[in-house]
Amino acid sequence: MEPDVSIETGAMIRVAVLPIGHIPAQLLRDYTGMLLRHHTIALSAVSSFYTEHQKSPFAHQPWDSGSLRFRFVIGGCPPSPWEDFQSNRKILAVIGICHCPSSPDLDSVTDQFSSACKGYSSALVQRCFAFCPSDSQLEDGNKKEGNLILFPPADHQTQEFHLNTMMQDIAASLLMEFEKWVLKAESAGTILKTPLDSQASLSSEEVIKAKKRRLGRAQKTIGDYCLLAGSPVDANAHYTTALELARLTGDYFWYAGALEGSVCALLLDRMGHIDPVLIDEVKYRYNSVILHYRKSSIQDNTQRVSPLSFELEATLKLARFLCRRELPKDVVELLTNAADGARSLIDASDRLVLYVEIARLYGAIGYHRKAAFFSRQVAQMYLQQENRLNAISAMQVLAMTTKAYRVHTRASDSEHSQNDEAGPSPGNSGKVHHHSVVSLFECQWSTLQMVVLREILLSAVRAGDPLAAWSAAARLLRSYYPLITPAGQNGLANALANSAGRLPSGTRCADPALPFIRLYSFPLLSSQADIVKRNPAREDWWMGSAPSGPFIYTPFSKGESNDSSKQELIWVVGEPVQVLVELANPCGFDLRVDSIYLSVHSENFDAFPVSVNLPPNSSKVITLSGIPTSVGQVTIPGCTVHCFGVITEHLFKDVENLLLGAAQGLVLSDPFRSCGSTKLRNISAPKISVVPQLPLLVPHIVGGDGSIILYEGEIHDVWISLSNAGTVPVEQAHISLSGKNQDSVISIAYETLKSSLPLKPGAQVTVPVTLKAWQLSMSDPDTVSGRSGLGSTGRHFKDGNSPTLVIHYAGPVAEPEDPTSAGTIPPGRRLVVPLPVCVFQGLSFVKARLLSMEIPAYVTKNNPIPTFVESNSPEEVAGSEITMDKLVKIDPFRGSWGLRFLELELSNPTDVVFEISVSVQIENSMSGDNQVANQDAAEFFYPKTRIDRDYSARVLIPLEHFKLPVLDESFLLGHPQADGVGSNRNGSFSEKNAKAELNASIEKLISRIKVRWRSGRNSSGELNIKDAIQKALQTSVMDVLLPDPLTFGFRLVKAGLANADAKVETPTSKSCVAANEITPMEVMVRNNTKELIKMSLNVTCRDVAGENCVEGSNATVLWSGVLSGISLEVPPLQETRHSFSLYFLVPGEYTLVAAAVIEDANDILRARAKSDSPDEPIFCRGPPFHVRVVGTA
Amino acid sequence: MATTACFIIVSRNDIPIYEAEVGSTVKREDAAHLHQFILHAAQDIVQDLAWTTSAMFLKAIDRFNDLVVSVYVTAGHTRFMLLHDSRNDDGIKSFFQEVHELYIKTLLNPLYLPGSRITSSHFDTKVRALARKYL
Repeated sequence: MEPDVSIETGAMIRVAVLPIGHIPAQLLRDYTGMLLRHHTIALSAVSSFYTEHQKSPFAHQPWDSGSLRFRFVIGGCPPSPWEDFQSNRKILAVIGICHCPSSPDLDSVTDQFSSACKGYSSALVQRCFAFCPSDSQLEDGNKKEGNLILFPPADHQTQEFHLNTMMQDIAASLLMEFEKWVLKAESAGTILKTPLDSQASLSSEEVIKAKKRRLGRAQKTIGDYCLLAGSPVDANAHYTTALELARLTGDYFWYAGALEGSVCALLLDRMGHIDPVLIDEVKYRYNSVILHYRKSSIQDNTQRVSPLSFELEATLKLARFLCRRELPKDVVELLTNAADGARSLIDASDRLVLYVEIARLYGAIGYHRKAAFFSRQVAQMYLQQENRLNAISAMQVLAMTTKAYRVHTRASDSEHSQNDEAGPSPGNSGKVHHHSVVSLFECQWSTLQMVVLREILLSAVRAGDPLAAWSAAARLLRSYYPLITPAGQNGLANALANSAGRLPSGTRCADPALPFIRLYSFPLLSSQADIVKRNPAREDWWMGSAPSGPFIYTPFSKGESNDSSKQELIWVVGEPVQVLVELANPCGFDLRVDSIYLSVHSENFDAFPVSVNLPPNSSKVITLSGIPTSVGQVTIPGCTVHCFGVITEHLFKDVENLLLGAAQGLVLSDPFRSCGSTKLRNISAPKISVVPQLPLLVPHIVGGDGSIILYEGEIHDVWISLSNAGTVPVEQAHISLSGKNQDSVISIAYETLKSSLPLKPGAQVTVPVTLKAWQLSMSDPDTVSGRSGLGSTGRHFKDGNSPTLVIHYAGPVAEPEDPTSAGTIPPGRRLVVPLPVCVFQGLSFVKARLLSMEIPAYVTKNNPIPTFVESNSPEEVAGSEITMDKLVKIDPFRGSWGLRFLELELSNPTDVVFEISVSVQIENSMSGDNQVANQDAAEFFYPKTRIDRDYSARVLIPLEHFKLPVLDESFLLGHPQADGVGSNRNGSFSEKNAKAELNASIEKLISRIKVRWRSGRNSSGELNIKDAIQKALQTSVMDVLLPDPLTFGFRLVKAGLANADAKVETPTSKSCVAANEITPMEVMVRNNTKELIKMSLNVTCRDVAGENCVEGSNATVLWSGVLSGISLEVPPLQETRHSFSLYFLVPGEYTLVAAAVIEDANDILRARAKSDSPDEPIFCRGPPFHVRVVGTA
Repeated sequence: MATTACFIIVSRNDIPIYEAEVGSTVKREDAAHLHQFILHAAQDIVQDLAWTTSAMFLKAIDRFNDLVVSVYVTAGHTRFMLLHDSRNDDGIKSFFQEVHELYIKTLLNPLYLPGSRITSSHFDTKVRALARKYL
């Protein structure tokens, strides 16, 4: 059997190519490569070297279109016993190749060559090509005659041309020799024998038979030579004769041979123009050929030498012819038959050749699995002989099957495209494409795959190829560990270690072994260094960049960060980054990973290796870190691992596929699950881009990073110092708030930050922030427990309650020296500074209520209210007494004497002392006077109240002032409206209006009360009690806000004293009256309603003891005029005066009180006075007026 | 019963989902390997042949030495491949048809993911019983 046979083989001139002398392997390859290109020499090119010595027997030689074909046998081969039968088996020419520099003596070269040629008796032409001769050799060689041809040193093209010429010369010589041979054969006739014949005992019968057959055989052989000479027409003629003769003599073997030749001639004649008719013809004839070979083998059954190989060769030839025609069915049938014949083949090498050829042909029609099957058979044959060369062959053949069995090494993936034509499993012909999806899950025909890998391992070990052995063992271990016993796993681990021992250190292998590595997570940058895309078009450049919304971490974005592929990560040059990976060792031995680091192909990342020990059946999450070195994209396809002495790259994608397969039950086992790591995580590597260096702000809270403990409502300043730890200045910065309790941040010194920009690297800025501690909500469980446990344990509340400062900052927009970054804007950063505030319960508010009280005259000092003190302002403004006086100021024209207090009950559950101070702000509520400006920011401070720890205290807030605003004209207009609601209930509009106004008034009132506290620790704050006040006021707001229907006032009529002018102006009781004088006085009654009021007025005067000193037995005051039962009618919004005179006998303090009984009171008045029965008299009393009587008694 | 037989079900993705040595000869490991190798190689032929006929039973489509491969292709392109050394076409055909029924029953199991390995011991027992009956 011969390898690589085809129908056209019959027309090929076999040339032995022999290296003469020593030639370096690479050069020999080059020289033979050059030679092999000249496998076809056109007859037209040969003609110039051809001289017709006698009339050519090849009458129909196609000189213009035909060609001679060569088949080069590198290294030569022993002569075949069948060369008489098929002339193309003869070595017809010998070409020696000599490399002159390594064989200086040309004579010895010539000798060696001629002795080498002796082995090839059939050779008709011998040439020795000597390449690269030296000058001396060139001279020397030119003198010599003979077969030595020197190729002067020249460039490749020239040499090629030279070689071409020489080949043409050889072709011409051969052609002439063929002619000679044919002429001789035709005339004399030759004895042509085959091993079939020689084995037969030459009985007389045989001799006669042989003689008869001789002519036909000669014709067949001449036909062969015609074919070799490139003349198919001549060949066909001779074959036809030979067929005839062979048929007659029953020489089936030669008949088949001639038929084979005729098919070859037919094909040559057609010159590659192939049509279905021709294919059918070829098929028909070759089937006949096969049939006749078979017949001959049956005939010669007895003989030891079987022509079976010819039958198989013919089968293969036909199959090869057809397989190009894409008739897989026929080819399969032929090849199946051929494979059947293998068992009958005696010679092992014949069987080897047969299987190789079958494998190749299957490969050619795209039956890779078939090809792999036969390749494996070949490999097994090689392995049966236990020597190194066979082992290498076996290993190589097995390596070619790996693709079909899907156990191929990674290394072949890249080379495969180039190797398509070389191996018996040529490329992807399209039939394997649909496997690509499945190929994700490799270990399917696990039995086969393990067998193949084991055989590769065995052959590699035998062949002494440690890398191949390592690779096979690695694949076996990685893919099939669940099917291998722990002992077997150990054996493989040992094989790996042994192989690695024979490899130079630092060897890389494409196939990863253990451990399994998958991405665990990409830790996001800490909130201290978060990167935010910059939107150059906007002032607030951080807007619109994720994450948006009120939450820093929304549950949605959290979910995305786990598995979304569109997630983008930004790394900064020079800032270390970390990636978490999970390693698994599902095998039963300790795995030592010498080093593992992220493998990045983009070359802008420095990865830091770590080493890990993995116990049996364990998994481990480790952190791999590195530093991006330059701007650009970074992709992390996997990890580079140095394990078992070899460096391999483990791709995350593979493990992902594996896990996917495991999830679908397609893969044997999930290595991570078997190691106890149950969570199936799907993390795809995000798109990572590296940006140039950015500024990096590091926050620091001045005074320690511990929590700031505040009481509810406490106001506190926090200083946050920001320092730039990056290498780029901060040029833009903006502070915003987020998180809970944002309103507790009262002020941030934005300006401080702004003014410090640009913040150079290393620079620092301190930003003050004013905080007001928020109220603890009752529903907060922390608060509840905190309240109960307060005093003993200082509870730290959850950080989640604290507001956070979010600082967006960025470096310069573009670095001027870097032109590449001109188009892109480096991103900014976001710094999140949680304000570590811990709020404790402070003063707790128990309740608020409104107290209504009649202030006795002694309590109050009847000071003028500041609005009326313009004339004597110097004494009003100065002195604490005056400040105190303000507490209960009464305007007789406006207010009622019935004071109302807001009582706040506060308790102090803390362990510090609180001081409460209440202040009331008075607005410019007076009717448009010149006092407006002065009154605007007036504020009244009441004395401080101290609340000791664990005590409660009540704070009183007089509400008298609040009538001031409501008594101007606008209120007077509104007030009857409000009252009118009672009388005119169908006016819903006015009712609404009135209510709104009322509410607004209440709001205003409340907002002016501020309760501040101060505690010993130099902390202060404000109680937030608005709701409580509102609740307390709600019921009696009318009383507070609405004026009484009548107001009373007294004044002196005549200016008899030094301050008389003041008395005229202001009816104050502070004025001094001289004793023992008639003092004319007036009582003024003002009607605050819109109705006419009739009343009966009484004026009484009391001394300091409260005794009525006008009436009675020992009255000390004399009077003139009417003091009691005065009937008055006061028109609406008007005043009426009633004059009288008093004569004080004794100096001292007296009190004047006016009281009136309203007659015929209407509903409004009744409502105001809260009287239930209509008959009840409405009684109004004015405030007491002091009269200081001076003089001598 | 055949002396050597190896039955295998290959999913449409060319993945074996069921394997059984149903021969009466004593099991030899390397022989079992060879059987699988032959069956694996025969898929190339089935792949082309399946489209040339409407019949599900493709008969003997391949052979290696004494071993013959008979194939039955379901509508869903699941292949039942039987490696055997006896020529009993009728028996094999019946065997395949009965196994097909069993396979459909398996497919109807909502917990069975089509294309994954058949691990049901019931299926295995039934197939072996059928093999004893027909082969």
